[in-house]
Amino acid sequence: MFVFIVRRVLNLIPTFLLATFLAWFVIEIAPGDFASQFAFDQVDPNKAQRIREVLGLNQPWPIRYLYWLRNLVTNFDLGTSMVSKGDVTTLIYPRMVNSFWLLLPATVLTFLIAIPIGVYSAVRKYSIGDRVLTVFSLIGLAVPNFFLALLVLAFAVYFYQSNGWFLIPTGGMTSSNHSQLSLWQQLLDRGWHLIAPLLVVTLSSLATTSRIMRGEMLEVMGQDYIRTAKAKGLSENVVTYKHAFRNAVVVIIATIGGLLPGLISGAGTVEFVMRWPGITPLFISSIFAQDVYVVMALLTVLTLFLMIGNLLSDLALALVDPRIRY
Amino acid sequence: MATQTPQTQTGAAPSRRARAARAERQGASLSTIAWKQFRQHPLARGALLILGILYTAAAFADFLAPYPERYINTNNTFQPPTQVHFRDEDGRWSRPYIYPMKKSLDLQTFQTVWEVDTSQKYYLKFFVRREGIRDRYVPFPVSLIPLKLRQTWDIRPTATLHLFGVDDPTDRVKVHLWGTDDLGGDVFGKVLFGARISLTIGILASLVAIAIGMLMGGLAGFYGGWLDELILRLVEAIDAIPSLFLLLTLSAVFYPLGLPSSVVFPLIVVVLSLIGWGGVARTIRAQVLSLKERDFAVAAKAAGASNWRIIRAHLLPQTLSYVIVVMSLAIPGFILTEAVLSFFGLGIQPPATSWGLMLNTAQSFVGVSGLGDRWWIFIPGIFIFVSVLTWNLLGDGLRDAFDPRSRR
Repeated sequence: MFVFIVRRVLNLIPTFLLATFLAWFVIEIAPGDFASQFAFDQVDPNKAQRIREVLGLNQPWPIRYLYWLRNLVTNFDLGTSMVSKGDVTTLIYPRMVNSFWLLLPATVLTFLIAIPIGVYSAVRKYSIGDRVLTVFSLIGLAVPNFFLALLVLAFAVYFYQSNGWFLIPTGGMTSSNHSQLSLWQQLLDRGWHLIAPLLVVTLSSLATTSRIMRGEMLEVMGQDYIRTAKAKGLSENVVTYKHAFRNAVVVIIATIGGLLPGLISGAGTVEFVMRWPGITPLFISSIFAQDVYVVMALLTVLTLFLMIGNLLSDLALALVDPRIRY
Repeated sequence: MATQTPQTQTGAAPSRRARAARAERQGASLSTIAWKQFRQHPLARGALLILGILYTAAAFADFLAPYPERYINTNNTFQPPTQVHFRDEDGRWSRPYIYPMKKSLDLQTFQTVWEVDTSQKYYLKFFVRREGIRDRYVPFPVSLIPLKLRQTWDIRPTATLHLFGVDDPTDRVKVHLWGTDDLGGDVFGKVLFGARISLTIGILASLVAIAIGMLMGGLAGFYGGWLDELILRLVEAIDAIPSLFLLLTLSAVFYPLGLPSSVVFPLIVVVLSLIGWGGVARTIRAQVLSLKERDFAVAAKAAGASNWRIIRAHLLPQTLSYVIVVMSLAIPGFILTEAVLSFFGLGIQPPATSWGLMLNTAQSFVGVSGLGDRWWIFIPGIFIFVSVLTWNLLGDGLRDAFDPRSRR
């Protein structure tokens, strides 16, 4: 087991290097750079050139990549934002925390709802309930989550206009008077702002997860040992929940790592629409400003998260499934 | 027809039963079985019908839309949908007619208020010809030729026929079935024109992605060794970066250039396919790995066929049914992704239109008015939903048709 883990971790290193190099390359082939916006400065025509020299943008990009990599590896330094002039780590850290507070409840809620739905659909295959749930999941797969977020937002505005008070807030993470509230009220305020984005992210990831659970459950229930358990006279409930469910849910838990990228991306568009101050709005504004280090930092951290997530789910799968040898 | 043999062409036209009997004897081909299976799938058949309607509407958008693609009218922003009346004041059936809309300013709230002006009615005309320079267009099959070629061959827009218009000699009264957007553009027409981009981008992107995936997967599986290692590592690295963020970065590469939409469109296709080829490459590699050890591949090798010929003629065709299914299931994903890109302002740029870009407008104005008095700018979202849903259903149908394990 130990050898397996070490090998998997060592395997991550070339992938990580290649992924960051690829990302850096893609950013670099974009025409212009951060200094380009000053190219037509009327007062000081050389401003762009000077800024390039100050920021080191006049050096060839592979060298800058190596510098960046050295700083990252030796002292976890992700660079300095060109727009805000601040340290990138301190810039992105609160954003990641904010995204985390949206992603974590959404993931938990998704699994809490999707697993019972999947089990129900599998146990009552082709029943009316299963068919209704199938239709819902088909709809859920096809609704773009940014459109759903727009509709929820539109509903929030409409409700305010017709009733004069807010049922759900129209975006953002805190109210404007957040800093004046007591700690308890602050928590309540955040929870209130979380409702709409949480709802949208959960709804849009529900369809996929419940379909996977249904498929997994059906596969387990087709196995020989289930037939054996039924044949020796165990009750339907015991067979379903003690034998089939346990085996199916283990696989689902182990595939969380694989579902993470979809969740992060899905939450990203919702963050943008609902003005949740998470990673994605920062990422998009940095892209438009060509703030290379912020873009790179976000890509790097997310890539790391994904790789670690996949590693953990592989390990979890290897732990619970004795057929996987290492 | 797949089952047709040389004998059927020499004799008289065989009856349907005779043909079926012959197919039975010979063993039906894959496409025949798949088609038979597909026809038993009512949802997939319905999806095919709806998609057919959508694509036809997109193809003939110039004819169906009352106004040209780039029509704007900044005096008429956010005009509510025009109601078409079929009965006159006495309740008798009449030719369809509309009342013009007048806007005024509510001096208390300073909001624009639209009112129906019932003093005069305007009948709708069908199959009208509008000769204005902007109303002319290039009709459908010819419009597929790129603009550059059309210019060198001197093909000019000549068609003037439109499905409907207002019977108003002054041309001041406009009909907007689904209202107007923030620039006064006709939402109904823009949905049709936007369908061209939104619906074709998915097909093109999945074609390119599958081409790259088949090439890379075929090479990796067939040659193995360092090439296999390199391609697998590349796929792994692309997979490691969260797709939405890689996509945004990639499209940002082209964004600062301010390119015309005729260039942006193929670039988006390239960007989408660069993200999407990994999964195809992996599966094709695995299939080729097992296929190349089969007897027919070994026999071809023994007969002296070149490597390229073995890959092209013996291995890749075996993966065809898989490819068809993957393609039809990849298209809705690409449609969604294009919508997201355009919605973020990193995809199609105005004055070109796509459904995602139209929703970008909705995003900018949703905080002002909500769903209440400008609901029609959300209509493009319904079209994204319907096209993704129908492509998903079609893909499911095809998968069931081609995959013997999921047959009922």
